[in-house]
Amino acid sequence: MAKDVEAVPGEGFQTRDYQDPPPAPFIDGAELKKWSFYRAVIAEFVATLLFLYITVLTVIGYKIQSDTDAGGVDCGGVGILGIAWAFGGMIFILVYCTAGISGGHINPAVTFGLFLARKVSLPRALLYIIAQCLGAICGVGFVKAFQSSYYTRYGGGANSLADGYSTGTGLAAEIIGTFVLVYTVFSATDPKRSARDSHVPVLAPLPIGFAVFMVHLATIPITGTGINPARSFGAAVIYNKSKPWDDHWIFWVGPFIGAAIAAFYHQFVLRASGSKSLGSFRSAANV
Amino acid sequence: MSKEVSEEGKTHHGKDYVDPPPAPLLDMGELKSWSFYRALIAEFIATLLFLYVTVATVIGHKKQTGPCDGVGLLGIAWAFGGMIFVLVYCTAGISGGHINPAVTFGLFLARKVSLVRALGYMIAQCLGAICGVGFVKAFMKTPYNTLGGGANTVADGYSKGTALGAEIIGTFVLVYTVFSATDPKRSARDSHIPVLAPLPIGFAVFMVHLATIPITGTGINPARSFGAAVIYNNEKAWDDQWIFWVGPFLGALAAAAYHQYILRASAIKALGSFRSNATN
Repeated sequence: MAKDVEAVPGEGFQTRDYQDPPPAPFIDGAELKKWSFYRAVIAEFVATLLFLYITVLTVIGYKIQSDTDAGGVDCGGVGILGIAWAFGGMIFILVYCTAGISGGHINPAVTFGLFLARKVSLPRALLYIIAQCLGAICGVGFVKAFQSSYYTRYGGGANSLADGYSTGTGLAAEIIGTFVLVYTVFSATDPKRSARDSHVPVLAPLPIGFAVFMVHLATIPITGTGINPARSFGAAVIYNKSKPWDDHWIFWVGPFIGAAIAAFYHQFVLRASGSKSLGSFRSAANV
Repeated sequence: MSKEVSEEGKTHHGKDYVDPPPAPLLDMGELKSWSFYRALIAEFIATLLFLYVTVATVIGHKKQTGPCDGVGLLGIAWAFGGMIFVLVYCTAGISGGHINPAVTFGLFLARKVSLVRALGYMIAQCLGAICGVGFVKAFMKTPYNTLGGGANTVADGYSKGTALGAEIIGTFVLVYTVFSATDPKRSARDSHIPVLAPLPIGFAVFMVHLATIPITGTGINPARSFGAAVIYNNEKAWDDQWIFWVGPFLGALAAAAYHQYILRASAIKALGSFRSNATN
């Protein structure tokens, strides 16, 4: 594989075999006139719709089959492990499908993190988040439409704090969980990383799906695992009970803080772009 | 894909890979490089996240009220293996993605990291482990204290020798997989695309956990055992702690010797024998 190393004027490191893309403009009016922009928004909507439909249906199905008071059996259904797989596996599939179209965010926290890292513009970030929330509402709406009484009886797949956990614990769990996810997204989409992998981004969606899977294993007992504000929002809207709404702020504040920390960690510690712009720590040209 | 075969200093022109030179034992130059400290930070953060997610999964499982309310032992094994996959993937380009003092020790024996770097990594990993388990304790203090704190101990019915043997073999599987995944000769066979390296490493951890959870709760990572022991601070966890350092380090040593001297046969090559096949 021959690599064309372009001599870019002003480029400080000629030995690098990758180029960081230029920062996305804060407001880019031109992209509003392109079909690819609206195609990306549609892709995010459909992906989030499918994500919520599959995952919430898995949750409700598990609760139906394991409810021993209503004809279910002990250890019935796919289990908590199966629910975690549903979330992680669906993210893997959908990121794989939409990565080339919209970047495969499917999560307002991911969009927010990438916006902070200047990889998406403000209008794009806002419209992605709106599309994701609408898609989430429609996805959970499908679940309710298919089994309304079961849906209402078994908690609607909504996120809320479990008994025995404080608000601070729930918030912190959401922060760390989202940090893991967004940090993995940054690593998977890092142009320097792509260069090391010989520019073959074949497996980028797999660790992202696994990160979601792992965080669900750890956090389901605490909050049912949000780490995706659209997921929490869609379930809260359709279920529409007071407890999910009371706790709902945790599932926006936590993920957004986690995404911000991940963006900071990746951009300023791992990629050291702040230090590079200051011209320090440049003793090794290949850093 | 055209391969440019460099003629410089090579006696075996058939090889399409180059083994990197051995890392110096003491490399004080790297102490002045930001990439060294960035690697330490990456190891610290990765081990912190590893312990937080895995120990939280363990406590969450043990906290269950019904027989199948938790994620199950299979879920716990997935948490360990999957988290190693994710974190090795994220930090491979930064620090090599060790997240485990035994892996660092094995790579040090194979002269792939310097002594200074190896010691720095191990300290960062242990500190990260302590912080990660500390987070779990902060979030769910009562169940953490009453449900064993995610600490590694020898289970009832197993002798210390059995536990030591299980840790040795378990770590051998892991470190041997790490060596295979990072082998430059292997990279050449895979057309120089190291995309899949973290996946078999994560699966190796997953497999060993399936086998060894009943015996010791599966250490095979001294930082993991150390972090849980420090935060849980229970007598039995400390009594058995030596098993979770001696076992993994012996396993890493065995894996390093096996890979370097048998599979890669570097010592024999140095002696100049068995060279009838030039492309060996």
